[in-house]
Amino acid sequence: MHRVIERILNLLAFLLTVGRPVTAEEIRNTVNGYRQPSDEAFRRTFERDKDLLRQLGVPLRLEHTDAWEVEQGYVVSPDQYALPDPGLTDEERAALWLATRMVRLGGQAPGPGAIFKLGGAPIAATGDPLTADLGAEAETLAELFRAVTDRRTLRFEYHDEPRTMRPWGLIHRMGHWYVVGEAAKEKRTFRVDRMSAIAVGTKGSAFERPKGFRASDGFPDAPWEAGEADVEVTVRFDAEVAWWARRQLSSAARVVDGGGGAIEATFPVASPDAFIGWMIGFEDSAEIIAPKDLRRRFVAHVGGPA
Amino acid sequence: MSSPRTADRLTRILSMLPWVIANPGTTVDEVCERFGYQRADLLKDLNLVFVCGLPGYGPGDLMDASVDDDEVVVDMADYFARPVRLTAAEALMLLAAGLAVMSSGAAPPALASAVAKLQAVVVPDEGTVEVDLAAEPEALDVFRAAAREGRVIAITYTAIGSGSTTEREIEPWGVFATLGNWYVRGYCRLAQAERVFRIDRIRTAEPTGAGFSPPDEPPSPVVRYTPGVDDVTARIRLSPHSAWVADYYPVSVVDETDGSKTIDFSAGDPAVAARLLVRLGSTASLESGDEVAEATRELRGRILRRYG
Repeated sequence: MHRVIERILNLLAFLLTVGRPVTAEEIRNTVNGYRQPSDEAFRRTFERDKDLLRQLGVPLRLEHTDAWEVEQGYVVSPDQYALPDPGLTDEERAALWLATRMVRLGGQAPGPGAIFKLGGAPIAATGDPLTADLGAEAETLAELFRAVTDRRTLRFEYHDEPRTMRPWGLIHRMGHWYVVGEAAKEKRTFRVDRMSAIAVGTKGSAFERPKGFRASDGFPDAPWEAGEADVEVTVRFDAEVAWWARRQLSSAARVVDGGGGAIEATFPVASPDAFIGWMIGFEDSAEIIAPKDLRRRFVAHVGGPA
Repeated sequence: MSSPRTADRLTRILSMLPWVIANPGTTVDEVCERFGYQRADLLKDLNLVFVCGLPGYGPGDLMDASVDDDEVVVDMADYFARPVRLTAAEALMLLAAGLAVMSSGAAPPALASAVAKLQAVVVPDEGTVEVDLAAEPEALDVFRAAAREGRVIAITYTAIGSGSTTEREIEPWGVFATLGNWYVRGYCRLAQAERVFRIDRIRTAEPTGAGFSPPDEPPSPVVRYTPGVDDVTARIRLSPHSAWVADYYPVSVVDETDGSKTIDFSAGDPAVAARLLVRLGSTASLESGDEVAEATRELRGRILRRYG
């Protein structure tokens, strides 16, 4: 490992100071650690090192070495390399470090690398017995984050259909991540764990984000409020589940006493599918009273395949 | 591929150097504490830096890195005066963690200002990345305080699987949020074993007045369902429309063809799998698992009887 680290430090020092694109050949002849006996061995080593630099976050680019565009060389611009200083105090670093100890992304605890870049932090024990897991695959989410911050177009499949969108923002809500943006000229929200074959566009600044955009604006409070339908439902919840239903209903619900501890709640539903899924959780302790067609749809869904 | 250890070590070196350069006179102890170094590892890294530098690689070209009377000295390394910018994954993780803890109400004031400063350098506009955990149930603070102070809590709990309600005394070790719900985990005196309870299924939570000593090292939080020995397993075939289940639940995927998936779904109670199957309707089918088949028939019958 020593040799790799020495070689990378030498390579990076050279690229950060040379001030012009340099070819692989020049690197081989100039930088300590690249005296591999064969072209093939050099090429393999150099490819591995480039991967490692990118893994660290080093912005390594290829550019033409001259005006005639005959040759290409590698560039690391010191401005792009350097982390802009956010000006954190030690107290703020410690607070961030503690937060990363408490939160996982898809079950993965992050390493300390990001905090080191920000200037490190005295490693304290977490004072709070609270942890959270934000679901989703960390790598997919990082790709989506890059698309959002660089304003790159996204292509992906959703329910088997190819989609193209301008991702304006990312939001974690109700245990899931969603991308909010414009697709087919409309504002749309897609659940990240149902997206597949995600491809991030190569062109940055491909669109403008609407002024004052917030990912949470207009975002539904309950799963059945996310959708395009507009139905008002009335549900009877028996006494033993009434307390639990109340906790989950949003402020849009009107609740009346159903007698003997039961309640009848009337509220808007925008996604009948999500609503039916939620109702099944109550098993036979709740009943859709109105509308009749949604009630029939629920019965047909539960009847299901034999 | 280079091993992650090489990348981690380089990240630490390339972060430690700028800090030492910006804070002349810093000591070995300070650097070790800040960057999680053991003294010997810091010395090893400084020795490596000492033999690196610019082409020519003579005394005037190499970096100076050493320890002088317990002071860490780095010189001739101006090109490493700034740390490497964050990768997208690092920036997202920091931001998401900060925003999540802020939304939980557990945040120290310094976190809000830290997140604001971080946002200013990693995201173009405020509001483009937002994180909410599940809405906090009222009892959350009761369990958090109980875990900190070692207090036994009596709960009335309605099990998710069977729907049965029990009264138990628990010794809370901690609370966690995942998949849109809050859970408390700890030792259950009724079950005489470690248990996890969904907080919104807890109807009442009252301190009993008794205390407990928390385990010296509580097992690292298991925020996923892990199959136990008594679990029932069902083999379920998912159509492309229900294939998301494989990502959402901790299942093992045994086959995958043309967007359809076959999974083995394990649960402590067959009712959990039954509810999932009824919910998925015609987009999934049970391939094997007698207990689950029986529970699914029973659940369908019970719901349909109500709608008579």
